[in-house]
Amino acid sequence: MSNLLLPILFPIAAGIAILALPKKVFAFGRSGGERRGLCIITGGFFVVTALLMVMALLTTTPKDMPQIAFFLTRKLPIQFGFDALGRVFAVMISAVMLLAGCFSFVYMKHEHREKRYYGFYLIVYGMLNGLCFADNLVTFYLFYELMTITSMPLVLHTQTKEAILAGLKYLFYSFCGAYMVLFGLFCLSRFCLSNTLTFGAGGILDAALVEGHETLVLVTAFLMILGFSVKAGMFPLHAWLTKAHPAAPAPVSAVLSGIVVKAGVLGVIRVVYYLFGTQFLAGTWVQYTWLVLSLITILMGSMMAYLEKGLKKRLAYSTISQASYILFGLALMQQTAFTGAVLHTVFHAFIKTALFLAAGAVIYQTGKKNVSELSGIGKEMPIVMWCYTIASLGLIGIPPASGFISKWYLALGSLDFGVRAFAYTGVIVLLVSALLTAGYLLPITIRGFFVGEDYDYQALKKKEPSKLMTIPLILLAAVTLLLGMFPNGLISYIGDIAAAIMR
Amino acid sequence: MVGNPIPAILIFYPMFAAVAVYLIGRDNKKIRDYIVQLVGVTEFLAFVIVAVCFQETGGLSFAWNGFAGLGMHVTLDGFRVLYGLIAALMWMMTALFSGEYFAHYRNRNRYYFFYLMTLGATVGVFLSSDLYTTFLFFEIMSFTSYVWVAHDEKPESLRAAATYLAVAVIGGLVMLMGLFLLYRTVGTLDMASLYEVCAACEDKRMLYAAGICLLFGFGAKAGAFPLHIWLPKAHPVAPAPASALLSGILTKSGIFGILVVSCNVFSRNATWGALILTLGVITMVAGAVLALLSVDLKRTLACSSMSQIGFILVGVGMLCILNGGGNGVLHAEIAARGTLLHMVNHSLIKLVLFMAAGVVFMNVHKLNLNDIRGFGRKKPLLHLAFLSGALGIAGVPLFNGYISKTLLHESIVMAKELALHAPVANWVGAAFPFGYEWNAFARFVTSPRVLEIVEWLFLISGGLTAAYMLKLYICLFWEKNKDAEEQARFDGMKAYMNKKSAFAIVGSAVLLPVMGLFPYLITDRIGVFGENILHVETACETVSYFGLESLKGGLISLAIGIVLYFGVVRTFLMKDEKSGEQLYINRLPKWFDLENGVYRPVLLKGIPAVLGFLCRILDTLTDGILIVLRKTIFRESPIPHEREQGTIFTDMAGSVGDFFHRLLNRTIRRKHPKTLARSYRQVIALKREEFRENNVLIARSLSFGLLLFCAGFLFTVIYLLFRA
Repeated sequence: MSNLLLPILFPIAAGIAILALPKKVFAFGRSGGERRGLCIITGGFFVVTALLMVMALLTTTPKDMPQIAFFLTRKLPIQFGFDALGRVFAVMISAVMLLAGCFSFVYMKHEHREKRYYGFYLIVYGMLNGLCFADNLVTFYLFYELMTITSMPLVLHTQTKEAILAGLKYLFYSFCGAYMVLFGLFCLSRFCLSNTLTFGAGGILDAALVEGHETLVLVTAFLMILGFSVKAGMFPLHAWLTKAHPAAPAPVSAVLSGIVVKAGVLGVIRVVYYLFGTQFLAGTWVQYTWLVLSLITILMGSMMAYLEKGLKKRLAYSTISQASYILFGLALMQQTAFTGAVLHTVFHAFIKTALFLAAGAVIYQTGKKNVSELSGIGKEMPIVMWCYTIASLGLIGIPPASGFISKWYLALGSLDFGVRAFAYTGVIVLLVSALLTAGYLLPITIRGFFVGEDYDYQALKKKEPSKLMTIPLILLAAVTLLLGMFPNGLISYIGDIAAAIMR
Repeated sequence: MVGNPIPAILIFYPMFAAVAVYLIGRDNKKIRDYIVQLVGVTEFLAFVIVAVCFQETGGLSFAWNGFAGLGMHVTLDGFRVLYGLIAALMWMMTALFSGEYFAHYRNRNRYYFFYLMTLGATVGVFLSSDLYTTFLFFEIMSFTSYVWVAHDEKPESLRAAATYLAVAVIGGLVMLMGLFLLYRTVGTLDMASLYEVCAACEDKRMLYAAGICLLFGFGAKAGAFPLHIWLPKAHPVAPAPASALLSGILTKSGIFGILVVSCNVFSRNATWGALILTLGVITMVAGAVLALLSVDLKRTLACSSMSQIGFILVGVGMLCILNGGGNGVLHAEIAARGTLLHMVNHSLIKLVLFMAAGVVFMNVHKLNLNDIRGFGRKKPLLHLAFLSGALGIAGVPLFNGYISKTLLHESIVMAKELALHAPVANWVGAAFPFGYEWNAFARFVTSPRVLEIVEWLFLISGGLTAAYMLKLYICLFWEKNKDAEEQARFDGMKAYMNKKSAFAIVGSAVLLPVMGLFPYLITDRIGVFGENILHVETACETVSYFGLESLKGGLISLAIGIVLYFGVVRTFLMKDEKSGEQLYINRLPKWFDLENGVYRPVLLKGIPAVLGFLCRILDTLTDGILIVLRKTIFRESPIPHEREQGTIFTDMAGSVGDFFHRLLNRTIRRKHPKTLARSYRQVIALKREEFRENNVLIARSLSFGLLLFCAGFLFTVIYLLFRA
């Protein structure tokens, strides 16, 4: 039991402790040492949480029975399990949280109220771990809501009016989605094989009970998909992303884009593949509407990113587009596409974290927030911009960087789809969006490195940030490349999951 | 990793060397330059050794399963060795030449890094034995070579480089689409098995879709019409060694892809052949005309490259048509050999010509024909090298270009005769797989009359080639500059290139007449060596290159060339100045530019404007509805801005604060009294207002959330009622 509970409870407890303790404690008696002490202690907590996660990975197997923590009502348990899908997400979450956390040790020097930041950061980390371990819908919903609420202070951290509004927008879009899920939660429990809403590979709908209520169950399914897709930024409920990302501090943007958006994806996967099952949903209006919405989002996100001038807002639009690649793959309800979607989830998490951290490093060192100001940035911060470039190539899908692999699987899955119109439109939209991706990411690199012949090299000052900032970036860029070159372990692992849930 | 690692070593050696070179170059430029040249030479020697030693073993294969998904598969056999060898040769020569050319450039380290990376990627493209691997290295090559084009960082080079990159990215994505379709249709991308799998494939419609996508992607790199736009823009602004490589070898990687598709996926398919032939003829003629009209040395050479790519595509088209069936198969090898040899010849010739142009540029820093006129006088080495290149490309007998052009011409004549004797539909009938319209198209293209026209266009293009080379040659080496001082300066340049550059140029130039003088001994053997990927079955009958029939075609072309030179170039393309001098003028209207006239406005203005407008509507849809709701149903009063004085409570609290402040100033802080920017009354009033505004915001949003909750709750209740 404890092996699964510890990675959840420890960071939450640690976060609360940081929030509760007065600032002076972290100075350890040295004057002005609060910052240093706070960072060291938070770093320690990160490491311990990561170790606990490794312990959890080692001491459990995907086939273990679920562990029931306690009963919420007489029948509804809060229960934990650690299946293969959860493992993929858990590793991804820990990696991104650690690297972005490491980055924020430097970045947050600029901001006030660091104590509150680290406290909530750790709490969110715990909640995210809880999402991976959640073994039934109720547990998942619980952590999902808690994560939304506890991540809000991170979004409005700067407390400017813009940030507060963005935070509220984030909160209410999320709640709006959560209510839809809640509605589904109420409805669904009557049609399932067991009353506990435990996730089961391939769906747990009881065909005999559903008989005669198909429309209602379909509406439920649609609302739940839409509800979780709010976090994943699917049209029409995507607007919070473009407000929250630019307003939040850069590491938080990275976590929002890399991980929090993926929490929505995990929710969708759980609902579609572990509750309703593809047999029930495939070929229905739910699937087609979902496909259309995701395709619209892909194109819209890329196009808006292409037109956007602010660096972080551009990346936020990019996230909208890329997250819908994942949703599109999931909506195809087909093994190859599922593999591609989960691969893209992982790859996009690393790539987008790298991009946001690079943007953060630029903002931290130069204060420039608009794309047009970034001429010559590559000469000033070569390491950062090299990492940015590699991540960009990954996102566009240039081999051998990783995004190419996931897009390859997504496109092949799309081509196998039964309705030919969707099959071809899907691939074409993917490719057009890839072109737009190149159009909105590469000019920054190009203008950053190719400064023009009249550039004043004498006035050039290196502005490379400190190691705590560059090392996470280098690691993320390396992962982008290495996962692209040697993806087979991951592919077969995810392929097994896909095979298990779509027999 | 299975198989012999030699091919992989040949690919990755330059890439690792690139990293090493970059690191070394940060400390010592001189050693860096030597190492770059050493890498070029060793790579070339390695290919020579492979070509000599391992030919008997039937090819070395290497597979790295699981690399980047579907794995990396490379092979060293006939064509691949040949083109690897040529790539290595070109890199070696340009590396030797680069040392002097780049002596005064900035960012050389960056250049050399990407220079060697591209060598690895290019070798990778040519050695690949499945299309997935081809694509992998193709994309790397596109991106790393971008850096060369943009190297000067002038506005026009950046613009040209952006065009280059856009064409490369769009081409790459369309090619990827083709790979998706092909892979899904036949289940493999392995070149060796594609031939049989595609012949057996029923779904020809899919194969055509895939083939056209692949043709788009590879054609973009090759510079085929209408995707040639990057060629005339990129070459003049890129450094000369880079131009030589872009034109000589990177375009050939596109041709390599087209060859693989044509000879494996569409072997024995005259319809496909007709398509390629059409593209080839347009490219060939358009390139030659553009070259003739140009007044910029490197732009002329670039357009010439486009035209020569057209010649090669004509060969590919003829190969497919002849291979289509009937008696044509017996003659297909002529087209195959012609195509292959013209690829090789063009690579070598353009190496010489662009390096010669590089010599001009590094001394004069200008490329306009009027400015560089007379530069070559009294420079015998440069003169001879340029002359052999010019004669080679113009197809003058005893030079290499003549051999390949003769073969290509011969293949057209063959097809024409076959078509005269038997209706084309009969001998290629079996190869028409697809719809009547396509049939009609292929039948039209392969009718004797159209083939006759193709033959004449071929000869006229040859004539145009001769004419524009004559224009360049006379301008550079015979005419005098209009400015006598300038001419004196040119004549005084004795040390216009160092020994290494001279070796690179002359060494490359010597190959051209050698290949032309001994066609049976050397040239035909090269052809046989490289034909393995082309799937031609019968052996070629020997062509008597210096027989009357063969000479006739070449001589007609040259005659046309001379007529064009005196009839068009000296009259229409030159203008008399007042001083009596004649100047070269650009007769090409400014609007006549496919890139600036069509592509850029459509892709950068039109589509983003329309699509962007639609997307903006979608993007703001939800927020817009919310705003409408808030203005109507949830109408909110504006947040009232109170006066700064605050309320009575803030006033009192502020007064207390102020009182204590004054008190403290009088007692404890008497020696260092503190002054306040604002009184506490104001500060607290401000705080209160800020707090209140935030609260109002939060409260309103909360009430909105509550409303949504109520809506959800209502749905549930209605449902429960409905159920009961």
